[in-house]
Amino acid sequence: MRAATTTRRRDIQLAYLLLAPTLLLLLTVLAYPVGWEVWTSLTDLSPLKDGPPAFVGLANYRAFLADPEFWRAAAVTVVYAAVTSVAKLALGTGFALLLARPFRGRALVFLAVFLPWAYPASVSVIGWYWTLSPPIPTAYSVLMGNIKYAVDSAFGGGAWAFVSVTLFNIWRGSSFIGVFLLAGINAIPPQLFECAVLESKSPWRRFWLVTVPLLKPFFALAVFLSLAMAFADLANVWMLTGGRIVFPVIGTHAYWLAIRGGQFGAASALSLMLVPFFLVVLLVCFRIFDPPEGTGA
Amino acid sequence: MNPKPWWRRLGHGGLLLVATIYCVFPIYFMLVQSLKTAQEDIFGNPLIVLNPTFENFEELFARKGDVRGFVGSALRRSYPVLAWLENTIIVFAGSVAVTLVASILAAYALGRLQPPGFRWWRRAIFAVYVIPHTILFVPLYQVVLGLHLDDNILALVLIYPTLALPFCVWILSAYFQHLPREVEESALVEGASRTTAFFRIILPMSRPVVIAAGIFALGTIASDFTLASVFLLSEHNQTIPAGLGTMEVALDELLAVAGINLMAIPVVLICAVFARSYVRGLTAAMVEGA
Repeated sequence: MRAATTTRRRDIQLAYLLLAPTLLLLLTVLAYPVGWEVWTSLTDLSPLKDGPPAFVGLANYRAFLADPEFWRAAAVTVVYAAVTSVAKLALGTGFALLLARPFRGRALVFLAVFLPWAYPASVSVIGWYWTLSPPIPTAYSVLMGNIKYAVDSAFGGGAWAFVSVTLFNIWRGSSFIGVFLLAGINAIPPQLFECAVLESKSPWRRFWLVTVPLLKPFFALAVFLSLAMAFADLANVWMLTGGRIVFPVIGTHAYWLAIRGGQFGAASALSLMLVPFFLVVLLVCFRIFDPPEGTGA
Repeated sequence: MNPKPWWRRLGHGGLLLVATIYCVFPIYFMLVQSLKTAQEDIFGNPLIVLNPTFENFEELFARKGDVRGFVGSALRRSYPVLAWLENTIIVFAGSVAVTLVASILAAYALGRLQPPGFRWWRRAIFAVYVIPHTILFVPLYQVVLGLHLDDNILALVLIYPTLALPFCVWILSAYFQHLPREVEESALVEGASRTTAFFRIILPMSRPVVIAAGIFALGTIASDFTLASVFLLSEHNQTIPAGLGTMEVALDELLAVAGINLMAIPVVLICAVFARSYVRGLTAAMVEGA
């Protein structure tokens, strides 16, 4: 008995030792910046002001809640996140279902579906930007220019840029989610599908009765990661719109305030306002993809 | 099973075709463009290349700021592409290695040794993803300065792993956690140490999951543009994405497209080689895990 507790205690010590590199990395890179952001959001820090920053409490947050511009950015963000997430999930599910059963050439189609995610976004976003809004005359400039002006004049300046961000996000995200859900479908025992065929003739009903419930943890994880990507997609929005933000999402709005406006306090508050919302989504997702032992699927 | 009617097969084939074109077209477009001469880029058909040439790639490496009058000498820069390539390889390989080592250790601790509250540890690590990166690079710059890593690719090797770690720790620890106890126990009973049992038994078993974590890390790291361009300032220290961001696009469009492909093709090839293991690993991790 004594030996068992000693071993257990040693195991626990070893566990903390092995956790150390990960925790050290995360703390080094994130602890100070997050602390700085929280503190700064309570001040009026700005390089444009003389003197040390003053503590202003929750004034920055309150100012945003009263600011119609903030609500516009919030609305755009929610619409953007919702539209891209739904589209990514729908397309991703489609890809996964297409690839779920064997057929000739499946390996090739699988690679094609894998490509948009594997192709590094840091550079493909540059390519997308020039393709959708070509800066110099190329063979397709006239066509793309016409589309751009048609969309912009119909929905307001910058609409085309916003559409292209959305398209890019969907293109890349649906690839990731498709491959991810395919891994999920592979995990479902084939017997279950065979039983389902006997159960119902309609593939649509089978999909909702069998596939969706079994894939629930995968869907939850995919939704969370896709939301995280969509909200964090500042770089994409920034690149694809060439810095001209006509439809601000919260991220670009905060970036704009900080880098162009020098209002670090307000910008910190703005980007932190997403966190509580995000935590709630994560906690809901945890219930689905990390259920307490014994109660899960 | 009775054979499917022809119209269902046709529909299936059509869907496959649409999906493939949708996924591949933008990449195909960029690849074709990088193989074009300037003349064909302007006057030719945008969808095909009639006289494919590698001159854009060659010029990318060879360009030595050839002078063409005053404006030419001012605008036509040469780019240290070899240095970019080298930096990119070091940063990517280094970050993926750091991510994998750290996440395997942490996942073993959480999934196998299971210290008290290990589920909450794992959730807390995963919750790192809720931190918005929007303006985080401003205070992060102070950290990098404090470590004397400004304008140094090591800064990225330090920062990049944090983008992929939470997910990698998650899938690896879920997998380790649900490997049956007996897997190690027989080795431990025979007197092998935990370390031996880990390297001889657990690690080889988890190959697909480790590969899945590695590919996820590579894909995540390779998609960063902002951090690279913020932290690497001098030309010779840049990675390819950071460097491409400084190009004069209006003048060097074809060169930049060549640069995009220069970076993308190796990454895509690595991902393609491991694509199957990636899916197998995700399946294994989630089946055991969820």
